[in-house]
Amino acid sequence: MTRPPDSRQVQALMDAVQAARTADDLTDAVENLSACAHPMAIPCLIQVLGFNNPGAAVAAVDGLVAIGAAAVPAILANLDDYNYGARAWSVRALAGIGDLRGLPLLERALAQDIGPSVRRAAARGMGGLQPHGFTAQQRQELAERILPQLKAACGDEEWIVRYAVAVGLEGMDHWWLPPAAQRQRLLDTLQPLADPRREAAPVVWLRARLALNRLTTTPSAARA
Amino acid sequence: MSQGTPLNEAQALDWLRQLEDPGQRYYAAWWLGRMRSNHPEAVPLLIQALTERGPRPDPASGIDEPNPVARNAARALGKLADSRAVDPLLTALESSDDGLREAAARSLGQLGALKARQAILRRLAPGPLVAGAPRPGTSRLTEPCEALLEALGALGWQNEDGSTVTDRKPLLEVVQAYVDHERPLIRSAAYRSLLQLTQEDCWGEQLVNLLLHNELQVRRAALLDLGVTGWRPAGAAVAGTLAENSLKLIALRGLVENSPARNRTSPSPSPEEVGLLLAMDDLL
Repeated sequence: MTRPPDSRQVQALMDAVQAARTADDLTDAVENLSACAHPMAIPCLIQVLGFNNPGAAVAAVDGLVAIGAAAVPAILANLDDYNYGARAWSVRALAGIGDLRGLPLLERALAQDIGPSVRRAAARGMGGLQPHGFTAQQRQELAERILPQLKAACGDEEWIVRYAVAVGLEGMDHWWLPPAAQRQRLLDTLQPLADPRREAAPVVWLRARLALNRLTTTPSAARA
Repeated sequence: MSQGTPLNEAQALDWLRQLEDPGQRYYAAWWLGRMRSNHPEAVPLLIQALTERGPRPDPASGIDEPNPVARNAARALGKLADSRAVDPLLTALESSDDGLREAAARSLGQLGALKARQAILRRLAPGPLVAGAPRPGTSRLTEPCEALLEALGALGWQNEDGSTVTDRKPLLEVVQAYVDHERPLIRSAAYRSLLQLTQEDCWGEQLVNLLLHNELQVRRAALLDLGVTGWRPAGAAVAGTLAENSLKLIALRGLVENSPARNRTSPSPSPEEVGLLLAMDDLL
């Protein structure tokens, strides 16, 4: 295993990001910076989210997700209400990190954002929450808060958002660890998405069916 | 010309009925297609609009193409799945406006209009150096080759009487002539068409090669073309392409839904389909 980079090396990688002249150079430089997953890189990676360069933004999101919880306060503090693209990438990063401090933003994004790519990231993110140290009671309360929101998003007009809802619902099982009766509520919410008579996109009902198959073949709350 | 789009179906039909304002007719035609209108008057009105020529494009109106009403009518008819549109679209395919021929070809493919096969083939038959030659002073080709090639792939081998085409060589020779075209987007369309018509893996492999092209526009086209063919061996390459996740998700959806291997009677995904679904999960 290589040693974690020291601050001089991280600074050099950040300088390379600032010095990049072409879109491809920028993407390469951000990928290198992201790979070191160093908290020092957080401001630079957040800045890249606003550059309107999708390749570089994907790499920056990967870097922020790799850094994890330490990046959340800075992401939330730097939300740019006037740069739609940057805000969308911030939602993607928070969805990937799964930190509960990002949840209000995910909720607003799922319910209101005009971009399907943002709503889909938010739906997936709700399934990827990591409520560390929560008691069963607290996890239950969190599930009571989130389940109705994902259920409402089953009616989204975009197939990819409904697909992400199926993924999010399946993901909820991992952090909720619901007892059998509660888990049935997850299955019931997935059911309309898995029904070819009610869901127009075959890929959505196949994904929902996969979620149902996996949830019903793993024992409920076995890990609780 | 007016701008904006109709608020509802009744207004769209009103806008298409009136003859004063071509801008309203243009947006009305677009709306009826986009919303998949099944109002009984929609298709007859669109067929009528298909014969309209002019006005000259007026950049101030936001409409910057010739024959905008006819072109949008042609596009809308491809989405409305009504066989009454086939003959009027075949007439439009002979128009002197290559943009209208392009829209007509795409729509004939979408409608699965088997009787259009020969007319489309005739347009491509002069070959890449003639039909596929750049028209001086424009960025366009003599014929809308991309749309014509894609339409042939979409029509497949069925005949109108339900039988299948037995002598496939003439058609395949015409399409294959385009696989060396200098423009990668035309090559992509030819590969896509040949993959659909022959199911030969070599054409899928050519499309996968285009996923590494240095122009984003070409990678995007190859992604969408692979999705349409449903060629599943491309799954990993699609997921790893340098392009927007949204497009890769559309392509992967196509591999799941359009593959000849898709078992339509099974409610659950096959192991191969599960692999594609999990690749999609990673792109959300």
